[in-house]
Formats: sequence, structure tokens, C-alpha cells
Amino acid sequence: MNSRRHLGLVAAAATVLASAPISDIFAGWSWLFEGGLMVAMVAGAALGARSLRGRLWAQLLAMLAALLIGLTWLFGGDTAILGLIPTPDTFAHFGSLFALAGEEVQKSYVPVPDLEGLLFVSALGMGAVAILVDLCAVGLRRPALAGLPMLAIYSVPVAVYVDSLSPIPFVVGSIGFLWLLVSDNVDRVRRFGRRFTGEGRGVDVWEPSPLASAGRRLAVVGVLVAVALPLAVPAMSAGFLGEFGSGDGLGQAGKGPRGNGRVDLFAELSGRLKQAGVQDMVKVTTNDPDPFYMRFGVADQISGGGFASHQPTGQPVSDSLPDPSGLDLSAVRTQAATARVEITDSFAMPLLPVYSAPTAVRGLDAAWSYDPTLQIVYSQRANSAEQSYEFDYVRAEFTADQLRTAPTMATSDSNQRDYSRVPEVPEVRALVDELIEGKANNYDRVRALYDYFSAKNGFKYDVAAPAGTSGAAIVDFLNNKRGFCEQYAAALAWMVRTANIPARVAFGFTLGSSSDNGVRTLTNRNLHAWTEVYFSGFGWVPFDATPSTYVVGSAPTAWAPDVDAPEETPGGPRPSLSANASGGPDGPGGPSRDPVDPEGGLIGPIDITEEIPTWVWVATGGGVLALALLITPALRRLTLRRRRRVRAVAATSGGGFAEVGVSAADLAMTVVGDADAARRQAHAAWDELIDTMIDYRLVVDPSETPRATIERLIGTALPATAAVEQARLLGLAEERARYAPVPLSAERLAPAVREVRLAIAGEADRGVRLAALLMPPSVLLRWRNAAYAGLTALSSGMTRLSGVLVRVLRPLRPRRLLR
Amino acid sequence: MTTQRSGGELTDPMTVDEFRATTNAIVANIEQVIEGKTATVRLALAVLLAEGHLLIEDVPGVGKTKLAKALARSIDCSVRRIQFTPDLLPSDVTGVSVYNQETRDFEFKPGAVFANLVVGDEINRASPKTQSALLECMEEHQVTVDGVTYTMEIPFMVIATQNPIEMEGTYPLPEAQRDRFTARIAMGYPDAAAEYAMLDGYHSHDPLEDLTSVVDGGTVRRLIATVRSVHVAEAVKRYAVELVTATREAPELRLGASPRSTLQLLRTAKAVAALDGRDYVVPDDLQTLAVPVLAHRVIPTADAQLARRTTDAILSELVHRLPVPHDRGGRSPYDTRPATPPNSFYDRRG
Repeated sequence: MNSRRHLGLVAAAATVLASAPISDIFAGWSWLFEGGLMVAMVAGAALGARSLRGRLWAQLLAMLAALLIGLTWLFGGDTAILGLIPTPDTFAHFGSLFALAGEEVQKSYVPVPDLEGLLFVSALGMGAVAILVDLCAVGLRRPALAGLPMLAIYSVPVAVYVDSLSPIPFVVGSIGFLWLLVSDNVDRVRRFGRRFTGEGRGVDVWEPSPLASAGRRLAVVGVLVAVALPLAVPAMSAGFLGEFGSGDGLGQAGKGPRGNGRVDLFAELSGRLKQAGVQDMVKVTTNDPDPFYMRFGVADQISGGGFASHQPTGQPVSDSLPDPSGLDLSAVRTQAATARVEITDSFAMPLLPVYSAPTAVRGLDAAWSYDPTLQIVYSQRANSAEQSYEFDYVRAEFTADQLRTAPTMATSDSNQRDYSRVPEVPEVRALVDELIEGKANNYDRVRALYDYFSAKNGFKYDVAAPAGTSGAAIVDFLNNKRGFCEQYAAALAWMVRTANIPARVAFGFTLGSSSDNGVRTLTNRNLHAWTEVYFSGFGWVPFDATPSTYVVGSAPTAWAPDVDAPEETPGGPRPSLSANASGGPDGPGGPSRDPVDPEGGLIGPIDITEEIPTWVWVATGGGVLALALLITPALRRLTLRRRRRVRAVAATSGGGFAEVGVSAADLAMTVVGDADAARRQAHAAWDELIDTMIDYRLVVDPSETPRATIERLIGTALPATAAVEQARLLGLAEERARYAPVPLSAERLAPAVREVRLAIAGEADRGVRLAALLMPPSVLLRWRNAAYAGLTALSSGMTRLSGVLVRVLRPLRPRRLLR
Repeated sequence: MTTQRSGGELTDPMTVDEFRATTNAIVANIEQVIEGKTATVRLALAVLLAEGHLLIEDVPGVGKTKLAKALARSIDCSVRRIQFTPDLLPSDVTGVSVYNQETRDFEFKPGAVFANLVVGDEINRASPKTQSALLECMEEHQVTVDGVTYTMEIPFMVIATQNPIEMEGTYPLPEAQRDRFTARIAMGYPDAAAEYAMLDGYHSHDPLEDLTSVVDGGTVRRLIATVRSVHVAEAVKRYAVELVTATREAPELRLGASPRSTLQLLRTAKAVAALDGRDYVVPDDLQTLAVPVLAHRVIPTADAQLARRTTDAILSELVHRLPVPHDRGGRSPYDTRPATPPNSFYDRRG
């Protein structure tokens, strides 16, 4: 097996290894089969093209064709001829697969099942990466560059998961990359010739070289730096490395039920939200077209540590349930619906999620009870895991105008008394007073407090924010303005209570993001907390203060619209964008009830609806920067060429001419009066010629005279045209400029340079021409030499300095002092 | 001590065209006898015009003596021939003072060396004693006999031939003597066509007999004056010094070239440039001349000899290593070699 073939196979294997991180995204392994097949086909095509001695572009074409055929085979369906040859329909089908993949990305949660669109995209991606890796590693012999496409695979799961990932797939991927690098290097060393030890014994390829220890040391230092550097960056503390320190996150999750119905819901919530994996918890089907959140717990008491639940009391669910607490059914439009719930074993609590407010529950045994005040289904002994049940419920559709009519309750009312009790925190009090000043009714007061939690006021979603709902924690949150649903819900409840309005914190699930034939799958990522405010005659009205853009499956309501949506903030500093913006908070500007966060499933809490996320800017900026870096050499080359031409022209128009015939030369020539100018022109033309030769990969030998250089150029790289004469003229001009008392007139040099350049370019093959245009080697060589000279100067400077230091410090040497 | 002057002054340089016509005539004349050796002939002529001496070294029968004689015949000036034999005496070369009974005084009888062109055949067959008789006249263009210094005419050129193969009964030229020869050239075998043509040309008689002179001594003096006026740029001078310095620093060479060789290298380069129709010297001239002018002066180390590396090969390699000069100062932007090795810390401690 020759070395290129071997390297090609290693490149393919390395690509497969490098795609290991994709396993984090898919639940199954079909992606590996299909992607591996693509890689194998690409590698096979490259191998075939190479054994037919195809050029680089031919190899590229072969690989692309193989990828296309492979994709057609696996995904083309019946649109292709013989199942292999793509037709226009196939491409249309691919387009629809792309669109499908986009939808799947939006709907699904990681890890995703084997969805066709995503499988197609991943197979296409792996094939493309295989092509790039093969091109870099085998075609261009730059295997280090092949790391970049591999890095693209790495970045996918990193972008998808907010929290830490298992390092193992990444280790596997880097092993692939290292394998590629080692194979290439071994191949290079082998091509130098045979290696020998000091005793003259031949060294086998795989034996370590004397430089191996140096390499190992470098590698260790590199790894240490790569690991240590992120520690210094504060933003990374929440990720993989954060686990070393705090120990929360994974630890608290999934500890199972605790005896009675009292659960530390906040701890459960934050633990489950920060949990690494995604677990399906609840599957729910409802005939309600527009459901709100399912709820399973309430925290309505404030103690020293913040909000807490109290022991629920109630009757068995097998009885018919009482009417929703406090709801005046005549005043509010309601929607009756039925829902069926299946709970997986991941959700194991003495509580069951239901939509508010349930009127009848079926399928549960007598162990389960219903607390009409808290509106939760609980059990003293049973566990929610693996339960499945059905319930009827009524969903109230409040409007802002209705809520405004709710009377202020008497202080003797039990709800008013129990649920507006709150420790006095001066900071919160000051803020609340400021916000609700001038508001006429309870609803407007609550809205004023609710609207305060907006992005405009600087609130951000941060699942890594310190948990806690005590008074101090609330103050911290209001200052830092970073937190997740727990803080938002507790803070709003606290503030509403401070405004002397009853409020509590409810726990449950958002609407989730995936809905398959009406079955919503709710996971630990959909766990949520929100605030409920008691309005007399209306009962408990939910207000979800968490910024909806960060909550997958959030459901803004007519009475509590999304504060960050532009049309929902009348009177705000932002200009109104739409006609109905003047409609006020109760206006018909329907808040988006679309439960699907466009990025939701895969990207998590990244907001692309409101503003372009940072990574887009970073990527765009990086792209622009990379592009600028890439074209810099070409631009530099162009400016050099232009400057030389301008200099030539300026010099020509500058000096007066004295026509002196020098008959000795073979060429008729005129000699310029202004000798220095003519010399400069000749040098400019010559430099341009030499740069051109370097650009077109012609050898430039500093021990060669202009005459010899030109003769060699004519002999090797110039067709027998007029360019030969022009080249001789250039050589003669440079020779005379350097060595003769009178230089040659420079009038004809600029056109001569152009003609010779075109002739050289005409002889070069396409790849060389392209490289000369885009990445002129002359410019790169100049830069490299300049860098080398700089480094040499630096090192000699350091040597001088150390010499001086040694001379100065020699008298202070300890040994001498001891003597 | 008295000095007797002879010979002419170097005045009245020619124009480039005139120079070319004249030298072409000489070369064409010689080529009637020596077929297909234009480069060698021009080099021999260049040495003459550079006021140097020529050592022709090659195996027997390739036309060494023929070249020397043809060159001598082409120029209408005094030509003497010395056949170096083991019993040749220094006074045979330089001349001797004899007692003239009529004038009752010693009278100087000039030796064979008093001529414009001296052809010394098989120079290495004479004893070193005799060979050294040439030292003074070759370098200083004068002969001192009995306290009287006699100046040689211009042009004065020694063309010596020697056979490098046959060692028996020969005395290798001493280093001082070798250094006085401006250039050593080898004839080399003619190619097949030239050899075939030679068979025809030499069929009935020796064409050397028919050779007539095309220039006289005065013309040669004018040619020499022209060569002297050829321009040498500073960069080229620097290059010549660098080239000679490189031979002294080359690890393969035990003895490098002398400062005299630098001078002669540049002089010959001027002549070559003029023969090429230029009024300025280019590094190409020095590169072509490096082997003929320098190779016979340097001595390779024992290692290089053991490796069977000839001085010719060592010198052409040196030429290919040395960057050519340019007039812009500093290094060539394409020279990737380190500028100066940084001073080592350890070098400074001792």
C-alpha cells in the first residue's frame, strides 16, 4: 500500500472517529451507520481517483460524486434512477429533507430519535467533512488543517448543550485527529530515508525518535494550557469545570420521592433543570387547543428560607372534585377539556401534574388526593412514576378588563390574610412602591410589577444563578437581574405580596416543544415555576415573569403578555412598531401562543427571535476576519505591483533623456540622463519579475546573475515568443543598472514585465496560477523572511543581554561569595 | 643599478566596435589551426589582453603547443620559444653578461625571455632552479642580471604548457610559480566533427605554417588599454573579494587564493567583458573565470583529495553557493540563509 493510499484511509477513519461527538445528539446509532457509509464512499472515491492518477480537482469531483450517490442511495427514495442516480426530483427531495431537518431541530429535544431530516443532515455533514479532511490531509499534505473541519463536528454538540457533556466522544475524536497527524508525520520521516540510532542500527518506523521526549513535553504543556486557560475565563465556570467546585447541579437531581407530599420543589426544580441529560417525564394528550402549563406543586408559605410548600389537605380524587377555588364561573369564559397523562419513571414524586383546574380525575387509586386550595393532586404514600390517568378540567380565559374589575379584598379574607404575608424587606418595599405608584387597581399593580421583569430593565435568564428565594436572595436577584424561573416566580410573588396582594409560586411544566400527533412530551427541561396571584372572583391567576424567549414552550397569556415582545409594551421607550400597539396591555395584539421556540429543541435558551445572538456576530466577524486575512497576501502583492509600476512611470516622466547609442549591446538601447532614476526603474521591474517567478514556483537562486536567471527562465518557463526578447531586455536592464556605468533606459520595462508575466502565467498550470493570484508565495516568503530576521535579531539581542548579565553578575556568584 | 626601458606606452583605447572587430579577427585566425575550441581560444586571448600569463595543462597531443604558437603567430611581435629540458639553465632563460673584448666591457646578451610572447614548452621538465628564473619577469615584467634591471616590453606574455599525467622526470611547478600564471586552461579533446575536419586540414601540410599575423604589437597595446578602461562596479569588486575570501574559508581547501589572484581575476574579467562587447564587468565574467583563474592556485585538503574532489569541482561549487552582488546594499530579499550567526554565549566566556 503506498503512503497516500494509507493516509487516505487513515483520514477516513479519523473522520469517523472525529464524528463521535454526534452520538450526544442522536439517541440511536443509525447516524453512525449512514455517516460512516458516506465517509467510506468518499474515501473509496478518493482512493480510486488517486490510483487513476487524477489531479486534485479530479479527486474532489470524484469525492463529491460519491457523496451525492451515497446520499441518493440512502435518502433519495424512489426519486432516483436505479436508486443511485440522482434526478432533479432527488434534489428537490433533498431540499425538503433540509426543510424537514429545520423543523425537527425546532421541535426536538436532544438526544433526538432517528429523524430522517436530521440523519440526512448529519450524513451530509460527515461526508462533507470527510471530503475536506481528505483534501487537506492527502491532497494538500496539510493534515493539521484537517483539524478545522473536524472541529466543526465538535462544535455541534457543544452548541446544542448548554451544560456539560461527556468528554469521551471528544477524546475519541481527538484520538482520530492525532492518528492522522502521526500517520502523516511517520510518512514524512520515512520519505527522508532510513533512520539510524547512534550505533548504526536501523530504527523501525514506530520506534520513538530522539525528539519524541521533546514532543511529549510539548504535548503535555499544550494540554495543560488548554485545560488551564478556560479556568481563568469566568464564563466557563458553569460548564464542565464548574462541577469540580460547587457540586450542585447533578447531585440533587432524581433523588426520588420523599415520603409525604411535601417536597422541596425549588431544589427539585433547579436540580432537574441543571441536570445534564434530558429525560422524558410526562406525556400528555389534551383536546384543549390552547392549554396553559400543567402544574403539580405550589409554594405558598414564606419562612426564613423563602417560599415553601405546606402540607396539602383534601379528599381522594376518586370523588368528584369541587369547583375551582374562588373562580366565579359566570363572569369568566371557560373552556372545558379532557387530558390524558402518562408519567415515565423519571418523574417520581408524590405529586401529579394536572392542568388547572381539574374537575374530575379518572384512573387513579384512592392513594391520591386533591387539594382544592392548592389545586394539586398529591399522595401521602404513592409515587407518580409510571402512573397514567385522565382528567377533565376547565381553563379560564381571563381578560385584563375583567381582572381590573376585581375588588380589593377585605383584610379579613382568609386568602388575603394567608397569601399576602411577607417579611418586610426595605429594598423590595421601595421598589414595589415606586412601581405601583398611581396604579388604580390590583391588576394594574400586578402588571406594573410583572412588566418590571423585562429585558429592557436588564433581566437575563441564567440557569447557573445562585438558587434561593429568601428575602436576601430576592434582593440579590433584583440587583443582579440574572436568574431562572425560580427566581422570577419567587421575586414576583414576593413583590406582589409586598403590594399587599395575595400571591404564591406554582410549579409545573411548560408546554414543551415537541408535539407528536397531539401528544406532548414534557421533559426535565420543561420544568417551570411561575407566580399565581389571587383576584377576588377570579381565583388564582397565573403570571409567568420569566422572559418567555428563554423558556421553551412558554405561554404568554392575554392578561400577562410577553413583556419583551415589542408590540406589548405601549408607552415604553421603544417606538411602537405596529398599529395595534396603542391598544394597551389588554389590546388585541395577541401574544404569540406558539409554543415552539424556533431554536428550542437543540440550542436551548438562545434567543433568536428578539435580537441576533452573539454567536452570529462572532461567526460573522470571524468569517470576515478570516477572509481579510486570506486575501491580505493577494492585496499586498497587487499593491507591490502597482507601486513598482507607478515608480517606473514617475521616474520615466522625471528625468530628461540623453540618447546615447551603445552599440555593444545586442539590443538597441537608449541610456537615460538621470541614471539613478533609471536604475530604480530597472530594479523595480526586476523585483517584479523575480516576485512573479516565485509566485509561479520557478526557482530563484541568489547565486545566479540576472543574465543567468533570464537564460534559465527562457530555457524552462517561457514559450518561444516575443516574451523571450522582453525577458532578455529585463535581464540586461537589471544587469546594467547594477554593474554598468550607464544604465539602460527604462521606458520599455513596464510593458516588458507585463508581457513576461503573462507568458509565464500561460505556461503554468491552473493550480499554480490560482495560488499565484490568491496566495502569492512571494509575499508569504517575504513575510517569513521578515519574521525570521526579527526572531534572529531578538535571539541575538537576548544573547547579548545574557552576556552582559553574566559579566555583571559574575562577581556576585554565590560560590565566589562563599569563598 | 641602472634600468633599461623598452617597449611602448598604453594609450589610445579603441571603441567597442573596433575592439570587437580586432579581437574577432585574432580569434578567427587562431581557429584556422585549432578547431572547435572557441572558448579556450578566447580565454587565451583574454589572458593576453589582461597582461597575464597562461598555463596550458593537458595530456599530450591535444594541441597545447599549437595553441601557443598560433596565438604567437597571429600577433606580429617578437616571439621566442623555450623548450624546457632538465639541463636548461636560468641564464638560458634570462640572458647572460659576456665580456666583449672590443669594448672591454661586459655586455648583456638577452635570454629567451626577452620577447613579447614567450612560449615555454613542457615547463615542468626543467629543474626548479631554471623555473624560478621566470619568477621575476612574469610578475614584475623585468629581469635583473648582474645588478642591472631590464624592463620587458608590453605586451609580455608567457605561455607555458605542461603535461599533468607524466610525472617521471618532471618537476612540479612551485606554488610561487603557479601563482604567477593568471589562468590555467585545459584544451580538452576536440569533438568528433572538429577532429574529422582536422584530418582534412592537416592532410597535406601544417596550416600553422600558413598562419599570418593579423595584429601588431601596437594594436595589442591599444587593446590592452581598452581592457584597462572597462568599468568595474563596486558590487563586482566586492564580489571578487568575496569569491577569493570564500576560497580561503572553504573547509575543503588547505590553501586559498592569493590577493594577487584577486587582482588577476578582475583584470581577466575586464578582458572577458571587453571581448564580450561590454564596457563593464558582470559577475558572470567572474563566475566563468573562477575555475581557470583560481583553481590552479588553491590546494585541497587531504580529505578532499581522498574524496577525489578536484579543485575545479570545489571552486564551481563555491561559485554556486555565493550570492551574486547587487547594488542596493544589504541582503537580497530572497536570501533565506541566516544573516549572521548570532554570537554564541559560550563563545564569549572564554
